[in-house]
Amino acid sequence: MLVLASWLREIAPFEADYMEVAERLTLAGLEVEAVEPAFPWMEKAQVARISRVEPVREDKDVTLCTVETGNGEVKVICGAPDVYEGMLTIYVPPGTEMPDGKEIKESQVYGHVSKGMLCSRMEVMLEGDEGHLFDISKEFPSAKVGQSLSFVAGMEDLVFEIGITPNRPDCLSITGVAREVSALFKCPLKPPQVGFDVSQVSQPDISIEIRDTELCRRYVGAVIDGVRVERSPGWMARRLAACGVRPINNIVDITNYVLMEMGQPLHAFDLHTLEGPKIIVRLSEEGECIVTLDGKEHKLPKDVLLICDQKRPVAVAGVMGGLDTEVTEKTSSILLESAWFAPWSIRRTAKMLKLPSEASYRFERGVDRDGQLLAAKRAVDLFLDLAGGIFKGIRDENPRPYKPERITLRPSRTNILLGTSLQADSMAEILESIEIEVENRSTDSIEVIVPSFRPDLKEEIDLVEEVARLHGFASIPTTSPVGDLIVKSAESDKAFTDMIRHFLTGQGCSEIISYSFISPQELQALGLSAEDPRTMAVKLKNPLAEDQSIMRTNLVCSMLSTISRNLKKRNMDLRLYETGAIFIDRGHGILPDEHQRLCCAITGRRFPLNWAWPEEDVDFFDMKGLAENLFCHIGLEGACFKVSSKPEPFYIPGTGVDIVSKQGIQLGTLGQIAPEVLTSFDILSEVFLLDFSLNELKDEASQETRFKPLARFPAVDLDLSIIVDDSVRAQDILGFIEDAKSDLLENIFIFDVYRGRPVPKGKKSLAFRFIYRAGDHTLAESEVLAVHNPLVDRLLEKFNAEMRS
Amino acid sequence: MENQLRDIEKEAMEAIEKASDPKSLEGLKIKFLGRKGRLTSILKSLGGLPKEQRPIVGKLSNEIKARIEKAIGERMEALKGLASGPELIKGFDPSLPGRRLHLGHLHPITKILNEVCHVFEKMGFSVAQGPEIELDFYNFEALNIPPDHPARDMQDTFYVDDKVLLRTHTSPIQIRTMEKMAPPIRIIAPGKVYRCDSDVTHTPMFHQVEGLMVDKEVSFSHLKGILTHFAQEIFDRDTAVRFRPSFFPFTEPSAEIDIQCVMCRGKGCRVCSQTGWIEVLGAGLVHPAVFRYVDIDPQQYSGFAFGLGIERIAMLRYGIDDIRLFYDNDLRFLKQF
Repeated sequence: MLVLASWLREIAPFEADYMEVAERLTLAGLEVEAVEPAFPWMEKAQVARISRVEPVREDKDVTLCTVETGNGEVKVICGAPDVYEGMLTIYVPPGTEMPDGKEIKESQVYGHVSKGMLCSRMEVMLEGDEGHLFDISKEFPSAKVGQSLSFVAGMEDLVFEIGITPNRPDCLSITGVAREVSALFKCPLKPPQVGFDVSQVSQPDISIEIRDTELCRRYVGAVIDGVRVERSPGWMARRLAACGVRPINNIVDITNYVLMEMGQPLHAFDLHTLEGPKIIVRLSEEGECIVTLDGKEHKLPKDVLLICDQKRPVAVAGVMGGLDTEVTEKTSSILLESAWFAPWSIRRTAKMLKLPSEASYRFERGVDRDGQLLAAKRAVDLFLDLAGGIFKGIRDENPRPYKPERITLRPSRTNILLGTSLQADSMAEILESIEIEVENRSTDSIEVIVPSFRPDLKEEIDLVEEVARLHGFASIPTTSPVGDLIVKSAESDKAFTDMIRHFLTGQGCSEIISYSFISPQELQALGLSAEDPRTMAVKLKNPLAEDQSIMRTNLVCSMLSTISRNLKKRNMDLRLYETGAIFIDRGHGILPDEHQRLCCAITGRRFPLNWAWPEEDVDFFDMKGLAENLFCHIGLEGACFKVSSKPEPFYIPGTGVDIVSKQGIQLGTLGQIAPEVLTSFDILSEVFLLDFSLNELKDEASQETRFKPLARFPAVDLDLSIIVDDSVRAQDILGFIEDAKSDLLENIFIFDVYRGRPVPKGKKSLAFRFIYRAGDHTLAESEVLAVHNPLVDRLLEKFNAEMRS
Repeated sequence: MENQLRDIEKEAMEAIEKASDPKSLEGLKIKFLGRKGRLTSILKSLGGLPKEQRPIVGKLSNEIKARIEKAIGERMEALKGLASGPELIKGFDPSLPGRRLHLGHLHPITKILNEVCHVFEKMGFSVAQGPEIELDFYNFEALNIPPDHPARDMQDTFYVDDKVLLRTHTSPIQIRTMEKMAPPIRIIAPGKVYRCDSDVTHTPMFHQVEGLMVDKEVSFSHLKGILTHFAQEIFDRDTAVRFRPSFFPFTEPSAEIDIQCVMCRGKGCRVCSQTGWIEVLGAGLVHPAVFRYVDIDPQQYSGFAFGLGIERIAMLRYGIDDIRLFYDNDLRFLKQF
């Protein structure tokens, strides 16, 4: 909402300077977002002297003027007949936006470059001659070259840009803002005076019929005959322009002026274009058509509130008037509409027709429930004053007269809620300062009548807010709450997720956070089978772009596209992870299955490029080792990596393994990304990936840590080196040993894997270390061998292995 | 004889100076001072000298012996103490960079989010969470934003269907928490939120933290206390805080909270649009209508709620000027936090 400072001061004559007004309004909840010059073109327009006039086209009064400006000489083509050498006039440089919205540009006219424009009074929105160049020294003899027009003409005014919150439609007018100013600065409020008494006025010759009194609760129509449609006077045009409304003609401008002044949207019809003349307010039939003022044709659905004449719709109620009943230069009689429409109906219509307007903006927030007649009278006054004509009367259809609500404010409750100790009297005084009438008052109750312009005041808390706001938030003490130290905790998995994050960060991985929306193409690139639930993505109805149109069903897509983006920026060594929600669609109207996952991926060098490290690339076992350490860290015991029977399609066949808990719950997968998937993400490096369900991980990891006593007796280490067929898997041998395990075998691990000479082709050598220990005595060698030798024999037999000599 | 002694001393001193480890120093000690050492053998030949010279040479050789011993002792100390010179151990260059592993980094959003949660956890708030895809009911209706209410324009919503949407704020967690828990309630709820908006200052996904405190006689004055403390913990103990009336359908009175601009200290700059203030929080007393939705008696209980955008805080704290950097996940960006 743009508020012209001088206009505001006219209604609320404050003495404070403008910056203080801006500050106090902001602190009262009317946030002044900017304070700008009201007439920016007058700041740029400056006094200039025409030093030379050369004819360009004799027949057309076109001249080439040499102009002395505040910043040097320029040449300007001028079409005014009355230009003379030595004349002081107004020059506007290129780049200036004029009040009609057009920008002055450097142009080529009749073969000459014209830098800017020389103006008439009308062009800079001052009262006076239209066709003549502004001869400024006649009116302002002291004007000097280079001075701005705003300075010379005394038009240095400001406009406040105020962000009005949706609960305060009463402040969508100068008067509304002035009411706040008068309360804040304790200055009088002088709303515009209306000069006639409606009871003295006859009923005009037009009938008004409201068929839906729920959606249109009041319709005031005023008729004026014999108006002159012409340009508005400069003062009105300037005020409108400063408030962001483009002047059109005096009739339309007056409706807009009253809108800005009082907040009541008005509409003027050309009376002679109305059939009947009769006004019917009703809901639309399916398929009815109307062409609105902006020239667009709308085919309407059922139940849009319309203003119609005897035959057809003439306006979309509260939103926009119709084109063929608009006021034109030929108009001589007008019907002025001042009505109250239901906010929700207007909002729905304006949204559906994509026709937001100054009127619909106010109607949908709620205009003064009882302000229609006053606004109509104010407009009539202005019509008679500025457009002439004869006032033929006013008709006020008011089927549901306004009945004010009453609310009781309890000062004691107010003080508890605010933490203040205000007296009932000062609360009442605050409410009265913004024209809330206090009907009854005692120390523990203040009963008020809700003003018709405050639809937001519905219950006690709304008054508490008014008291707090105008008392000033800064005046409310800042204190520490007192309460139970212990309150019940909410549930969240943040602590667990943080533990994982800190672990991975410590393992050299960096956290990424990517958008929850992905592109359908990315999802497709994973090659998931049709029955995979991850193909059931939640689709957005109104995505910003096609590549952000579905919600992710996995974290792999975002991980791969992040890797791709980084590789393109030459970040080659990547160890990244992300934790976040994924979403599986479960159908219309119900929430999707949403749960948290963890994805980690590595590519590039194992170690930072450095003199002391070998230059090696990461491989599968780096990723697997990370997972194994993770399990240790979160206390997850007995999870195993199983070659998957149904491997993820985005892993290279044979590298994809399932990670399964001791209880057989699938926790996640691990593998190397398949080349065709890398290609679709435009990745040239090898990528190894780990993908977990955080929820499952958390459930499985929740065992508590139990301390095991430290061994008191020494261990016996025995190494075994065997040669087996290449196809034998380490896990099978380890599993075999595990199953046959004696109580003495404390640990077993593989410490070497070797292929190549002298190991025969197609075979490999595996070296195991067995660690034997007894809890209660030092083991004798014979004791160990009695266990170890038979185990080795069985192992050799089972896996068709031989000892490596 | 005297010259011979002096030569030995000179030779010994040079060798001691050059000795780079205790072992070779030990060798020198034997070489010069040992039973078969150079000095000893000279002392042994003292007998062959004229009588009058013996005490002079004897004294000299004892002095030299003492000096060599002292030098070896000092050198030994120096070598043990090591590191006093760059070349004490041959070829060892401690100025070479260390053998570093890859260093991991938390995302800046996570860092700030944790900091914010931590400030409140210290005051007895616990972390709560809720779904990112929400029902219209929780995101709007139960928060006192009925259909066709102009307040819906305050947020551009991504819709899934007529009942399901991407939450536009973390406020639905207020409702979900109050449905499950009875007062007293103190929660802090971080999470992702979504709005269809994208430019230098807006991304379609961003992070908020929601806070809620409900108890008997919780007041606006308490809200001021808690949030002033928060702002000063996150920014600076001297940060000025300003509470301004505003409007949220689910709180009343509602406030927006500005901090003094961290860039210009309130003088006015580009970051604060010359106002000297930066808006960081939205807050207010829980609206009675919201309490009625979750069956908490607004006559008996009161509470305050607040919400803040994590990206904004992170941008201010780290001096980041383009919000999109958070979601580009360029390693060069991530490495800085």
